[in-house]
Amino acid sequence: METSNVARARMIARFTAISLGSVVWSAAALAQGAAGANTNATAATNAGAANTNAANRNAANSTAATTNAAATSTAAGRGGPTDPGVRGGDPGAGGPLQGLGDVEQQFFQASKQVFEEVDAVPEGLGPRFNLDSCAGCHAHPTVGGSSPPTNPQVAIATAAGAKNTLPSFITANGPVREARFVRNPDGSPDGSVHGLFVIAGRSDAPGCNITQPNFAAQLARNNVIFRIPTPLYGLGLVENVPDSALQISLAANAQQKRSLGISGHFNINTNDTTIARFGWKAQNKSLLLFSGEAYNVEMGITNDLFQNEREGDANCQFNATPESVTPLQPADTGSPAGNFQNDIELFSAFMRLTAPPTPAGSPAAPAAQAAGASGQTTGTAGQATGSATPSAAAASTTSTMMASAAADISSVMAAAAGSSAAQPSSSATSGASVTRGSQVFSNIGCGLCHTMTFTTAKSQLTGQSNVTVQPFSDFAVHDMGSGLADGVTQGTANGNEFRSAPLWGLGQRIFFLHDGRTADLNVAIQQHASRGSEANTVINNYNMLSQSDQQSLLNYLRSL
Amino acid sequence: MGIAACLAGTAAVIPVAILSSRNAIVVQSANPEDVHVADGVFVSDYFDLSYRVPDGWTEGLPGPSPSQSGYYVLGTWVPKRDFGGTVLIVAQDMFFATDASDDLKNVVAEIRKVMSSVDGMTIDREPEPVNVGAHPGYRVDFSGVGLFRSVLAIEIRCHVVTFNLTSRDPESLAALVKSLDDLESARKSADPVPECLKDYASENTLRQVEPEHIGTRAESIPVRVVVATDGSVKHVHVIRASAAQRRTIEQAARQWKFKSHLKQGHPVEVETGMRFNLKPANM
Repeated sequence: METSNVARARMIARFTAISLGSVVWSAAALAQGAAGANTNATAATNAGAANTNAANRNAANSTAATTNAAATSTAAGRGGPTDPGVRGGDPGAGGPLQGLGDVEQQFFQASKQVFEEVDAVPEGLGPRFNLDSCAGCHAHPTVGGSSPPTNPQVAIATAAGAKNTLPSFITANGPVREARFVRNPDGSPDGSVHGLFVIAGRSDAPGCNITQPNFAAQLARNNVIFRIPTPLYGLGLVENVPDSALQISLAANAQQKRSLGISGHFNINTNDTTIARFGWKAQNKSLLLFSGEAYNVEMGITNDLFQNEREGDANCQFNATPESVTPLQPADTGSPAGNFQNDIELFSAFMRLTAPPTPAGSPAAPAAQAAGASGQTTGTAGQATGSATPSAAAASTTSTMMASAAADISSVMAAAAGSSAAQPSSSATSGASVTRGSQVFSNIGCGLCHTMTFTTAKSQLTGQSNVTVQPFSDFAVHDMGSGLADGVTQGTANGNEFRSAPLWGLGQRIFFLHDGRTADLNVAIQQHASRGSEANTVINNYNMLSQSDQQSLLNYLRSL
Repeated sequence: MGIAACLAGTAAVIPVAILSSRNAIVVQSANPEDVHVADGVFVSDYFDLSYRVPDGWTEGLPGPSPSQSGYYVLGTWVPKRDFGGTVLIVAQDMFFATDASDDLKNVVAEIRKVMSSVDGMTIDREPEPVNVGAHPGYRVDFSGVGLFRSVLAIEIRCHVVTFNLTSRDPESLAALVKSLDDLESARKSADPVPECLKDYASENTLRQVEPEHIGTRAESIPVRVVVATDGSVKHVHVIRASAAQRRTIEQAARQWKFKSHLKQGHPVEVETGMRFNLKPANM
């Protein structure tokens, strides 16, 4: 895609309008939440999303009903905890990493602009696609996040004269979704993404007459699974966590994990045998690979990594391939580094340079903090990394991860008490409740997979060496049972296995789990339990808690 | 496979959990994950365990398939009417554990150490030797956020088998612990239990056969084999693999030949662990 600066500016302006819309929505949620209403805007949004996804979630709940009926009924009988809802206020996400130099910050801004671009057929869109920009899917609470409250896939279905039929699983207030077919017509494994939309009928695709997949028929065969966008904040730091630190983390606390039924393993990249860590099944080794594949799969734009069109219909080929290549003449991106980068490199740079999300009330401490050059300084309050070597640091932080949980969140909430940052409800504003929630998180075993803390390796980027990060994921894949299973194998992750979803920024997410089946955090927790799941005993522990402790856990999670 | 069978760990010999003192017997073809529940009684033929589930309790959701390190969730029980507690029985293969799971005392000490580091967790009973049924083992108790837990660990056939009990109050936890007094032998076969020896293959292999190259990726697959008194392979248990991988490994492993293992001058069956390193079909 070689887009003129004028066109880029126009596209960016268009996206900015969309983005501002989400900010207004968050502000509304904040205002109503502050009024103390139980049914604040966030809750209303949750309800709307829940209703519009009723069919899908009902299917999910029917599974849960067969596997976890006792849990649901008992929790309901006791009244049950309530998801405080999406945290409003300052998004606290989407900016560059703290400590970057000027040139790196320019590079971040340039990469962000390209990430926000909206593409049409002349820029490479299609022939099959799911949306026309990266930032359209990765939108909430800011650019780089996850699915926004208003699904842009509804509008794109008929944009530029297209006449796409909206699949039943795409709704105005539901999550952005991609669809994968589990099996091919001959019964062999499929698992690939099938684009929701086609460019046929668009004014910029004359003569193209391909049709959409018959999703209704595939749904009737129970052959469709969904994935929603993963948040991209802080992924450069994740990328720079050494494999050794991840391995030490997974091996740590092994006896405690065994006492709860937890094992897990990494999705290992075949040839270089390093750990893949991105995507719902940790199927993508690197951010660049993630970018290149998504550009082709989600937007249909061929590029330096994925050079061939997925749809071969001759009447729908409008561009030379690959459609996005490294520019031979410098573009004017405002960044010397950005001027010669192709799009997928810039997408990677955006993810690599974006700061982790900020927990509730934390004034300027996102879920990462640079340690000194020696690696001897502490991360967030009360937490010592205490080692100059990444592996040793990882061992140290892992071994203390649960003990430090309360200290970490105590400092966060102490700051929150004097902060103007919005909290979702009166109970959730209680520092004591959130502190208690962090204890619950550690005690019942959540933190064994949603591992809190890692230390990065030495980095090429200014101020990013030996940084303590708190992604709340072990980046391993775990068997999540029949209730969440999607039947798709990717690398060494089988159809039941998913990566422990990083929980940083969870407080501001609208939709949960890989397919966005629920907007209710309590439901999302319960969905971790089903036949074959490694999380069954932890969820049993959750269900044994007092309602007050269950509520504290939800409040804590919404503070992240 | 050339040297494709990567032998698990070092050549050190693990003290054997022989159940001969109890005349314990098992069905040879059983694998660790082969358990069943009938009339309220949990039965594991492999581990020679029989456990009557407390009255008013029922099976909980089953756990995952065996892990790559030989970790098994054998069974879970929960109260029928309320979330009053959990019984979780698991086993860890000592041949393939990624940590030092070769000593029961250390295993329980490690649990105590980790739990004491959890914010809000209290150690209610320091690790101490106990008997679980007829099995000597160790126990540790701890509690936090209103949940009272007890872990009891025993060793059977070079596996650490743990009983993980959770309750909302100490009295109910004590009742759960007491229910383990009824742990009995399954006693279904007259065959002797093989002696479990780590790395037996490293010094005692006479013939090895490479499995067929299949699939698209190289993988290391954990396998337990039972070597008959004549050195032939009597039983192959591929712990975690695809169906195709399982077939090719079983086919190859059954052609292996080992030295007979002598104990007090008499050949005895041996159970040991090996890793088969599968190569992709295109290599």
